[in-house]
Amino acid sequence: MLLGQRCQDCGRVAFPPDPYGCEQCGATPDRLASVDLAARGRIRAVATVHRHHHPEPATPFTVATVVLDDGPMLKAVLVANADDRAVGATVRGMTVPVSGRLDRPDDDSTDDSTDGDRVDLRFEIVPEGDAATPPSVGTPPAAGMTS
Amino acid sequence: MSRNLLSERATYVVGIGLHPYQRRSATTYVTLGLTAARQALADAGIAWTDVDAAYTGTALLGMGASRIMLSRLGSTGIPMTQVENASASGSSAVAQACLDVASGRSDVVLALGVDKPRGGLGAAPGSAGIENLEGGTVVPFTHFALLASEYMTAHGITAEQVARVALKNHRNGANNPNAQRQKQRTLDEILSEPISGSMTRLQCCPVGEGSAAVIVASGDAIDRLGLDRSRAVRILSSTTRTERLYGPGEGIDAALTAETAALAFDQASIAPTDIDVLEVHDAFSIEELLYTEALGLCQPGEAASLVESGAFDLGGRCAVSPSGGLLAMGHPIGPTGTGQVAEITRQLRGEAGIRQQPHARTGLAHMVGIGAVCVVHVLQKQ
Repeated sequence: MLLGQRCQDCGRVAFPPDPYGCEQCGATPDRLASVDLAARGRIRAVATVHRHHHPEPATPFTVATVVLDDGPMLKAVLVANADDRAVGATVRGMTVPVSGRLDRPDDDSTDDSTDGDRVDLRFEIVPEGDAATPPSVGTPPAAGMTS
Repeated sequence: MSRNLLSERATYVVGIGLHPYQRRSATTYVTLGLTAARQALADAGIAWTDVDAAYTGTALLGMGASRIMLSRLGSTGIPMTQVENASASGSSAVAQACLDVASGRSDVVLALGVDKPRGGLGAAPGSAGIENLEGGTVVPFTHFALLASEYMTAHGITAEQVARVALKNHRNGANNPNAQRQKQRTLDEILSEPISGSMTRLQCCPVGEGSAAVIVASGDAIDRLGLDRSRAVRILSSTTRTERLYGPGEGIDAALTAETAALAFDQASIAPTDIDVLEVHDAFSIEELLYTEALGLCQPGEAASLVESGAFDLGGRCAVSPSGGLLAMGHPIGPTGTGQVAEITRQLRGEAGIRQQPHARTGLAHMVGIGAVCVVHVLQKQ
């Protein structure tokens, strides 16, 4: 599951959660309710990154534009690299162990030496015929979760 | 409600000047800006004391850049204001100059773009406190690589076809003495050095330093100062919009461009097919395809084959990025938008030399900026 938001005034479902207000109708934050979004959707586009300013993720890694089954569109790193043939594929979110500090503003860790005890939310392509498998994420992570 | 003051009081570009775009150097921004400003004054045939107001488009210099620089033309005491609108800062400086002149508040206004790159761009959205899933993994070149993937998949276009935008723009830049990249490239060179997705190094713009100045004046000022009317280029419309919410597949930057351009065409009372010469925000090669389609020059999915056929070359039906665009002329941020208006002016005057678009009468300058904003100017030789 992903933690999203639904506006109680206009019904807009948003991801990531936003502390400031509804971008569609201008409702104040108290009108925005947390909502679980299935970490499941379809790939609209992919790009394999060859140059990156940060050691994590190690290059080459693939980023995908994913339209969630529940509506919002997001970008996320794929577990395994893919090319344009992956466009249209179903993906599901999963937590993967990562080494070192994450490339996120909310990861203020200074310890780059830890290995395997941190996780990031990434997406994996669901093999065709395996569409009924539920998302493999155990706990509902917020955007940018670290452990 | 949007009233087009430019249709009520005729407003013209009467002078242009540039400091070449280049890699970061020891040259101060004061030297960069003064070089462009002095050249623009000389080009217009006016004195600094004829200028009523100045707008400096800059995103990276920090506060208070105008007076320390422009006072070296003489401390005339005119109003000076910095204009920041990310990549569109220079375009927004031109927009402010248009507003000043068209409203009747001023007769002659300088719009000056100037910048020097720093370590990072320091964009405010990154510190807005809105965390997203991708974190720092999606920088601009990956954002546009994803749009390239989407475009190629939707229309059956190859990476080589997208790269041909850069082939054309590097060829144009090779003929522009103010361009940061002045080297004609082969398709093999352009396709080498992958950065992200199908975007390679030469399909991504260089961010360097430089300056570009535009002097905007009223018809009254042209008569009063005895300026050469045959070199004045009228600004028919100046429009700015910001991003709304778009659904998957609507293409955020393209949808924003389509809305901003539609307003610009309406206010200028022209059609997209009237455009002879076009400068677009081609920071990444894919953008030129997306924006020429969003501007209405052709149908969705057609731009790649038009690039391939030479329709967007100099001498084609509409010359796109004749300066070399952001890909070859460069994208020093603040100057980029004023530099586009300078190039369109040069083209419409018929003074572009070996990169002249024949019989160019109407031109359009288009920039988008982080945030997201879009600024469009339509110019015409009367």
